[in-house]
Amino acid sequence: MTITQDTTRRFSAKWLQDLAVRYAMVIVMVLIISFFLYRSARFGTVDNVVTILIAAAPFALIALGQTLVILTGGIDLSVGSIIALSAMSGALTAKTFPDRVWLALLVAVAVGLIAGSINGLVVSIINVPPFIATLGMLTLASGLAFVVGGGAPINGLPAAYGQIANTEIFGLTIPVILMIVSIVGFGILMKRTAYGMRVYAVGGNRLAAEIAGVKTGRILFSVYAISGALAGLSGIMLSSRVISGSPNLGQGYELDAIAAVVIGGASLLGGRGTIWGTALGLLLIQTLNNGLDILTVPAYWQDVIKGMLIVTAVAVDVWASKRPV
Amino acid sequence: MADELGTLECRDLTKAFGGIPVLKGISLSLAPGTITALAGENGAGKSTLMKIASGQYRPDSGEVLVRGERLPSGNPQAAYRLGVAIVPQELASVLEMTVYENIFIGRELSGPFGLRRRAMIESARQILHVFGVDIEPTRRMGSLPVGLRQIVEIVKATNTGARVILLDEPSSAIAEREVGKLIEVMRTLRDRGVALLFTTHKMEEMRALADRVLVLRDGELVLDEALRNLTDDDIVTAMIGRELEGLFPALPEPGTEAVLEIDNLHVSGAAAPLSLTVRRGEIVGLAGLVGAGRTELLETVFGIRKSTAGSIRVKGTTIKGGTPAAAIAARMAFVPEDRKGAGAVLSMSVLDNATLPRMDKFSVGGLLRQGFRRSQVREAMDAVKLRSRGLDQSMETLSGGNQQKVVLARWLTSPVDVLILDEPTRGVDVGARSEIYRIIVDLAEQGMAVVMASSDMPEILSLSHRALVLRNGIIAGELDSEQLAHPGVQDTIFRLASGLEGIESSDPDPADPSTNNQKDN
Repeated sequence: MTITQDTTRRFSAKWLQDLAVRYAMVIVMVLIISFFLYRSARFGTVDNVVTILIAAAPFALIALGQTLVILTGGIDLSVGSIIALSAMSGALTAKTFPDRVWLALLVAVAVGLIAGSINGLVVSIINVPPFIATLGMLTLASGLAFVVGGGAPINGLPAAYGQIANTEIFGLTIPVILMIVSIVGFGILMKRTAYGMRVYAVGGNRLAAEIAGVKTGRILFSVYAISGALAGLSGIMLSSRVISGSPNLGQGYELDAIAAVVIGGASLLGGRGTIWGTALGLLLIQTLNNGLDILTVPAYWQDVIKGMLIVTAVAVDVWASKRPV
Repeated sequence: MADELGTLECRDLTKAFGGIPVLKGISLSLAPGTITALAGENGAGKSTLMKIASGQYRPDSGEVLVRGERLPSGNPQAAYRLGVAIVPQELASVLEMTVYENIFIGRELSGPFGLRRRAMIESARQILHVFGVDIEPTRRMGSLPVGLRQIVEIVKATNTGARVILLDEPSSAIAEREVGKLIEVMRTLRDRGVALLFTTHKMEEMRALADRVLVLRDGELVLDEALRNLTDDDIVTAMIGRELEGLFPALPEPGTEAVLEIDNLHVSGAAAPLSLTVRRGEIVGLAGLVGAGRTELLETVFGIRKSTAGSIRVKGTTIKGGTPAAAIAARMAFVPEDRKGAGAVLSMSVLDNATLPRMDKFSVGGLLRQGFRRSQVREAMDAVKLRSRGLDQSMETLSGGNQQKVVLARWLTSPVDVLILDEPTRGVDVGARSEIYRIIVDLAEQGMAVVMASSDMPEILSLSHRALVLRNGIIAGELDSEQLAHPGVQDTIFRLASGLEGIESSDPDPADPSTNNQKDN
């Protein structure tokens, strides 16, 4: 093998440009943070950073699951509804067995896992397009969430239920710790394990992966199951934070999760994207939300800005990847 | 060659990607009514040159003139308006649409009541007829073999009034017999005053078609000469920059032990079940026309397609499961025909592509053994002399020949007993081609049983111990090494493949081996 050493590329204007494109997201992030720091004294406080992290945590879990799904070339529209369904199931369990709060946690995650597994089976075995399969699950799970509570929220839960999400360790709540651990965990999973490589291969070229001996059906099934379980976990955390179960919880979260993944540089065609990118995309959205709140920008304008950010991020990415390397 | 009449003129084109020069000042001129062959190894810059000439890429310097008018760089639409059409290697036809719809895309005929479908169908039929191809214009494009799709693409290009047609490896994806049709189509175009430029790896095509030959090597034009003044050796030497001593290595003597035993295998679409035994160190060539069932057979053996009955044994052990994973576990390896669609995951690196089929070996408890896989893969890639910028280079930025080396060599990090090759040198240049032949022979010598489907006649003749000709999924004839060395063998193979030598023909023909080689059916 001949390795071409190319020294001329270093430290040139082109090199700088390449660098700027590659780390565009980081640069944008730094610019946004600097702007908010300049405009508001409150933005940079430890309290506020913690606030951002707490807001990001439930999104982080579903965005990680979504990243895996999108890497295979699929999409999971059902995570928002799965959050509602698992939150309601968890709340109902806690109400029925007030002494066994751990059971609520287990039930919520199990419900998410089952819903995700159904998505996975429908996509991998019956070959229903992911968009359709998970759209169906979105509607189905949302309906079930109302069924579980008889159309109303579940309140009057034991105080211990609130401890799931509100307990602090080293000043960080459990969901925040869970977020950090998951990001690192999934980062390793996708970069350092055989499983991660198979996910990339299935998304990059399913037939080639199959020929190389990858059991592509199993991989497809697994990403939806993981995404569902993470949505279940996210659901119980959200529900525990407010010590109640609401069938409207998590509504529309799937779109924010997809936005985070896409801003993070993943391709909806599959095969391209990183956990690190998703984490960055997620923090970017949450930082923006928080900063604009602090600056008391009206909520409608916040949406306008967020919408532009999503398209700009992807446009930059497309432009950058079209440039010959 | 400053030709005053040049329909297409390139002046001093340069282009670099990421600081690496790909074209170093290319000037050429294409005269109307001529066919020019553009040869060169993969990575020599042929495709880049074509993409600049058709306005897809912007040159770093230099200009392209079409009939004296300057082509705005990086503007395919302008090139199209000026009458430059490109037929890419990967065809851009819409498979779900019909032939005539494909021909008229973007310039549909319409009247006051919408599309004039009948007129388009009629006109498509006429245009196709001019080129001697009578395809029903209402057929779905996807139902045609690749070779015919290619011709439809060319016809479409002329239908848009192209005066210059660039063809990127027009014959790489099609069978021998369809090449004949392609050649006719190209000649018809030349007679109508179109300037054609095509890239190719095949000497016979240059001989059959070209008036002039251009050879690119490392981004420079090293040869620009009328074909009649050139010998084959001149061209090959110009391409690789050194003398080529024998494209094919000598074949080692095969062993006696049966390694691959296929017994009464039902392949879907085949007229009858098929049996075949391949010995240790033996290379069996599969010849046949497109649609003869070669790919289907190979894919069934490797478990990509399901088989309803029959058995496959490797070294006496029957393979169960009928999945590629089971075939790999039985120490089979497969190099598919469609490198980009099935062979490699282009978005991944060389290292990851090479790791994929050997995941169990390269991971412990699911965790990848980074150093180990890197050293093993490097060893395998060194053995095939892969030219890359390192193992982390993305597959899509490698040239075709080098991609093929990765797709082949990635199996070599573990022992392989059966090597299945489907068109192993499709779209691969002469230099890499001879290297791939050497690798295949080396692997056979190490004891692998090799089954190789090929549409390249010299490959079948010189690289197989034994050749089988397939037709309708069954073995229409078998030729041993002696028969393969017979001068009239190409004709024999062609006749077997096309069914001109039917079973009903009872007169024993001394040159026809099909009469005494039905034992494998």
